[in-house]
Amino acid sequence: MLLTVLRRTAVFVASIVAASVLVFLFMAVLPGDAAEVSLGTNATPEAVAAVRAEFGTDRPLPTQYVDWAGGLLTGDFGRSLISRESVTAQISDRLQVTMILVFAAMVVSLLIALPLGTLAAARHQRGSGLALSGVSQLGAAVPAFLAGILLVALFSVTLGWFPSSGWTAPDDDFVGFLRQLALPAISLGLVEGAVLTRYVRSAVLEVLREDFLRTARAKGLTRSQALVRHGLRNAAIPVVTVLGLQLAALLIGAVVIERVYVIPGLGSLLLDGVSSRDLLLVQGVVMVLVVAVLLINYVVDLLYTVIDPRLRGS
Amino acid sequence: MPRFVPQATALLAAGALSASLAACGGTSTSSSGGGDGAKEQNVAIGLTVEPENLDFSTTDGTGIPEAMLVNVYEGLVKLDQDGKIVPLLAKSWEISDDRKTYTFELQENAKFSNGSPFDAEAVKFSIDRVKSDDWKVSLKSNMDVVRRVKVLSPTKVAVELKKPSNGWLFQMTTRIGAMYTPDGVDDLPTKPVGTGPYVLKRRTRGDSIVLAQNPAYWGDKPAMKEVTLKYFKDGTALNNAMLSGAIDVVGDVQAPDSLSQFEGDDRFVVTEGTTNGELTMALNNASGPMKDPKVREAISLGIDRDAVRKAAWAGRGTPIGSMVPPTDPWYEDLKAAHPYDAAKAKALLAQAGKSNLKLRFRIPNLPYAVAPAQVVKSQLEKIGVDADIEILEYPARWLAEVFTKKDYDMSLVRHTEPRDIVTFGNEDYYWGYDNAQVQSLLAKADSGTEEEQVADMKQVARKISEDNAAIWLYLMPSLLVADKDVKGLPKNRVSEALDVTTISR
Amino acid sequence: MSTGVAGMAPDVQEPAVVATPRRRRPMTPSMRIGLTLVGLIALLALVSFVWTPYDPTAIDADARLTGSSASHILGTDKFGRDVLSQIMWGARTTLFVGVVAVGVAALLGTPLGVLAGMAPRGVDQFIMRACDLLLAFPALLLAIMFGAVFSASTLTAMLAIGLATVPAFARIARGGTLQVVRSEYVLAARSAGRSRWAIARRHVLPNIAPLLIVQSSVAFGIAVLAEAALSFLGFGTKPPNPSWGRMLQESQETLHSTPMLSVWPGLAIALAVLGFNMLGDGLRDRFDPRLDDRR
Repeated sequence: MLLTVLRRTAVFVASIVAASVLVFLFMAVLPGDAAEVSLGTNATPEAVAAVRAEFGTDRPLPTQYVDWAGGLLTGDFGRSLISRESVTAQISDRLQVTMILVFAAMVVSLLIALPLGTLAAARHQRGSGLALSGVSQLGAAVPAFLAGILLVALFSVTLGWFPSSGWTAPDDDFVGFLRQLALPAISLGLVEGAVLTRYVRSAVLEVLREDFLRTARAKGLTRSQALVRHGLRNAAIPVVTVLGLQLAALLIGAVVIERVYVIPGLGSLLLDGVSSRDLLLVQGVVMVLVVAVLLINYVVDLLYTVIDPRLRGS
Repeated sequence: MPRFVPQATALLAAGALSASLAACGGTSTSSSGGGDGAKEQNVAIGLTVEPENLDFSTTDGTGIPEAMLVNVYEGLVKLDQDGKIVPLLAKSWEISDDRKTYTFELQENAKFSNGSPFDAEAVKFSIDRVKSDDWKVSLKSNMDVVRRVKVLSPTKVAVELKKPSNGWLFQMTTRIGAMYTPDGVDDLPTKPVGTGPYVLKRRTRGDSIVLAQNPAYWGDKPAMKEVTLKYFKDGTALNNAMLSGAIDVVGDVQAPDSLSQFEGDDRFVVTEGTTNGELTMALNNASGPMKDPKVREAISLGIDRDAVRKAAWAGRGTPIGSMVPPTDPWYEDLKAAHPYDAAKAKALLAQAGKSNLKLRFRIPNLPYAVAPAQVVKSQLEKIGVDADIEILEYPARWLAEVFTKKDYDMSLVRHTEPRDIVTFGNEDYYWGYDNAQVQSLLAKADSGTEEEQVADMKQVARKISEDNAAIWLYLMPSLLVADKDVKGLPKNRVSEALDVTTISR
Repeated sequence: MSTGVAGMAPDVQEPAVVATPRRRRPMTPSMRIGLTLVGLIALLALVSFVWTPYDPTAIDADARLTGSSASHILGTDKFGRDVLSQIMWGARTTLFVGVVAVGVAALLGTPLGVLAGMAPRGVDQFIMRACDLLLAFPALLLAIMFGAVFSASTLTAMLAIGLATVPAFARIARGGTLQVVRSEYVLAARSAGRSRWAIARRHVLPNIAPLLIVQSSVAFGIAVLAEAALSFLGFGTKPPNPSWGRMLQESQETLHSTPMLSVWPGLAIALAVLGFNMLGDGLRDRFDPRLDDRR
């Protein structure tokens, strides 16, 4: 098992290095130039050259990469050419916001998926179970931004219950924070919850057919007792995997939802960075998102090894 | 097949939801305004162009002067709502007979927000700073005409020009005229230090800038203790924020079709003023098919400007026929010079041998450009021109490809710089318009008396209009939505600044 | 967006290759609904090639925001363009994006997966780790990056979605291949001296085809969602070419006065995704009896 963990860790680290090279190269071929953008119309070539020299974007690519990657190791993402602020500071501010949003959405989706999915599986032969799977099918077909638009139109513009956009930090005003968070988290979580419901349902169904459940029932447990005591734990294995993937999907889905709700998170930072050609900023944000996804996969892999004894040997 | 039933029900439910949305339009309850403290002393204004940082001396873009100029930074002079130059930090000024020396009498008790006094030395420092390498943004070239600044006394300063220039004093109302203090320029991107009635309280990137009253302001204190500028990438989110009461003013309506929901609601007041923003279709005069004046004329005839304004901007805005807004002293109504005549346009194209013309229509990814561009494309199809729209990210790609490399046939941009008609005198500008007569007229206008200036500028405006050096679709309106108790909003947007100092409620 | 998830249902991670074309079972309801919806959209798209009520990009400044009427069944947008015509054209855009994106993913992912399944462990590991790495670049991220470099268009969106879906196909193909190559008849074929290439072509591909078809349908649904999200953000189909995502985005401005303008494209997107998802489920039930939950 230790060997497995070590091997996975090595792969994880190698992937991050490979990803950083990819991201760097991709950004290096972007047309448009932050120096020109920051100086605006009519900038003289000398002024542009001076800004490039100031930020070192006139050096050979390998040197720039080593410099950037070296900085990453110490948590220094460089200094933005546009806002002239530290990229690390900007990202860490925004990352917090996005993480809160993603976890809130995760909670929403679990609150939807676990009960509904289990119920749908337990009653899969009855009308209610079918109805549940139907609703989850439909929910999974609605894009998160559409859900967002509908929720804003109903709950903030028409009913005035929640703010339509914006963000309040939890330590500024906790109630305000919760009100701001509610709609985005629901928009994001609702759709993912519907998707997750389907996985929970099929995982529980799978388990229901396993032999140990029959054994448990033979020992005199009712169907639901058996399900709760033995089934859920076993169903947890595939669900954990999917949860990891969901987390990654939520992280990316947040980019769109942040745009709909004007939330100052990583996603809006990324979109702003792309349009102002803020190279280091975009590089930094993409890198953070990619590493986050890789990290999630890595952790899920490890969890999988821990939870499922069958996999330990391999 | 029992699975059919639940899904059909769910669909119906979704339909019912949408229908109920349709039923209840704008009947929401208003919640509290943004900012801390009593409502009547705060105002939250929703805007669309967020500053990248707070230093307009090193970073270009309209967002920074919009938020900072007049409010945080003051110049010697400013523009009033009618586009006239009025005193600010200069109480008065005199112009020498040779029109080359401006002598300013300064406000005596003005102070910077870091406590340093505002005096003649600060004026000299600020103007010299524009001419130094510390100023990076290209607008600094407007200060080239200054020979030197002489401190006459702490409250009196003389500025000597290399040649007479009417444009210079006007430019002093823009960001290059902002006054700095030598000990307050260390961290301008994040810590602005000016003499204005407001100081920066807080900035949350991607969200807002909060301005608080400057307790040591030299002049009359503004009515609002705190002004929050909240930024929205998207016009819909901006409107929703207004409808749900999160902001008190929409400072820049980017979706005029959405105004109907505010106009029908007595909680809100909608105003329409004018701006300096000519929505201009740039035509590449220097290369490609647009080099041919006949083709430019045909394109101009093939565009029904009123229909564009109606379809793209809900009929708002002012028709114009040249690069001059009605608030400029040399404005003349030239729109009659550009009628819509598709048949003649087609004939001209046939004459020029360009019957199946294909044009690269490269526009910025901004709502004010994307909407009218689609209408223009549809109209040009009728005269047999295929305008291929390519949307470039603004500013980065548009600037690199269209503006710098001049790699385009047609573009579409709102030119907001005040008195930007002078760009037609620069043959290197992206219009590629090289006309010696226009260049000499512009030079003459700058050095002459004010009457001569007006006469010469009128000629320039007529000449570029006749040449179809560009196509002016319309003047962008300044559309504001405000809570009905908010007073004193600047109705017109004729300068770079959004002057919030007059707001009260 | 549920990108990257639906492509890896837990029940597909260890695919059971049971291609039993002769043992056809009756169509499940989910397949019927899926087929109907997908068929409907395909029909709209096909008809749009020969006829739409109006030119979907023709602007009429005098017929703006008309709402449903006899001349414009679904009304017109703020440019006076006919909404029904745009929905029909949008179906074409949607299917086109789906076909190309899924095509790219299948054409790149399948050979990679088969290769990984049949190649020595080192190569297998390398390919699969590379796929994991690609998985860390979701469609949206790729499309934003592509859009920035090449200026956003339908093409950049399709390629981004396609590339991001490659790992899903590779995984499925590899899993299927592993099962097939361990089966007795392949072992027999191998001992009879058949080349790897021949085995891949004669045995592996036909046997994993059903899995790939199921995956294609699922991936199609994801592609439709992704295209809509990208066009909504301005990184997809460029105006004036109709796209459901962009229609939805453009209709936001008038959501309060003419909400139906948002309803039509929203409904179209949801039904298309629903159609492909259900078709995928139906196909899975059909090809893989192990997963049949109606027993």
